[in-house]
Amino acid sequence: MALNDNRGYEYFAGWHGVPLGWCQHHDPLFLPWHRAYLYWLELALQSQVPGVTLPWWDWTKGTTIPAAYTVAQVDGSDNPLAKAEIKVFGTAHQDGWPTETSRDPGEFPEVPGPPYQQEWAHAMQADNYTDFSQRIWTVHDTLHVWVGGTMSEVDFAAYDPVFFAHHANVDRAWRIWQSAHPGANPPADILDVSLQTDPAMKVQTTLDVRNLGYEYAGTQSTVPGSA
Amino acid sequence: MQRWTSQAIALPPRTSWQRADLEFEGVEHDGPSFVIHVFLNNADATEATPRTPEQNYAGYLTVFAHGDCWGDVGHCDIPGPVSAFDRRPPHPLVPFDATLEISGPLTALPEDTSEFTVTALAFNKAGDDTGVFRFKQLTLLTYA
Repeated sequence: MALNDNRGYEYFAGWHGVPLGWCQHHDPLFLPWHRAYLYWLELALQSQVPGVTLPWWDWTKGTTIPAAYTVAQVDGSDNPLAKAEIKVFGTAHQDGWPTETSRDPGEFPEVPGPPYQQEWAHAMQADNYTDFSQRIWTVHDTLHVWVGGTMSEVDFAAYDPVFFAHHANVDRAWRIWQSAHPGANPPADILDVSLQTDPAMKVQTTLDVRNLGYEYAGTQSTVPGSA
Repeated sequence: MQRWTSQAIALPPRTSWQRADLEFEGVEHDGPSFVIHVFLNNADATEATPRTPEQNYAGYLTVFAHGDCWGDVGHCDIPGPVSAFDRRPPHPLVPFDATLEISGPLTALPEDTSEFTVTALAFNKAGDDTGVFRFKQLTLLTYA
């Protein structure tokens, strides 16, 4: 797809940092904004491939980035989920901007790596939205910085496709916590806030994923049929 | 690595609280991403100090930060509202409050502890020893 086609990956990647800078971090809008972001991206993907959904990276299990995002080649071609050129929507490349996605997981040794089971459990123990939001954004921050490279910079993180698998898991965490705490909403004074996305979405609209047409599977048990 | 040690913080009687949080208020997140490791009553802690209960290790906080400013002059300055009707979202670089629950580590201090210090060791990938972790003040919050 052409770089300046607003149905393309570069356009959506650009919402988060360079060039548009719409993301919300370290405040009560963090979870609603990123839920809206995933929602609009998933619809854009489904416009290209009906029925496709964003996967989540469950970083409470395992110690590495999922293989789908690290294998160098898929079906004989370079894997764009592993590494890709960074092209910025609507603007010329500036000196100092990264030219391709990069990662260096574990090479900042002071940053603990996954699994983040304990941090997840601590977040789930929160009894109000504010505490939950702070606890989950803290582990979210840790994973970004642990992955390193492009993912550790707000301005470019979303150019790495693993960003969206990470955020799907953050969104999943919110959904699971919401299920255990019905009615535990963000502060009332932000419910009417319009989140800066294209198009905009109110915080209130993000509160129930079922109204956005998706859900996260909990467990799955399958038994053979009669055939 | 940047080291910061607080003044002594008064510790309310153990029987008066169930949960205790350290709240680092007004944390700046306009530079490179960083991590802090926190110790209680251990001002001598270094990067080589084991992060264990025996060393009064209290936990860590990582901050996914914005890095360099790519806009023009003033782009990363934090403006105030231009009018009472300014409904734009907050500037992305507005400092925030970072919370670390320390109920367990605080309870593990000797029973007669009436005050304690907090030592934060802050690391960024460049290995800077100043300006890594900038914040306005630290508050101990306890909950009954």
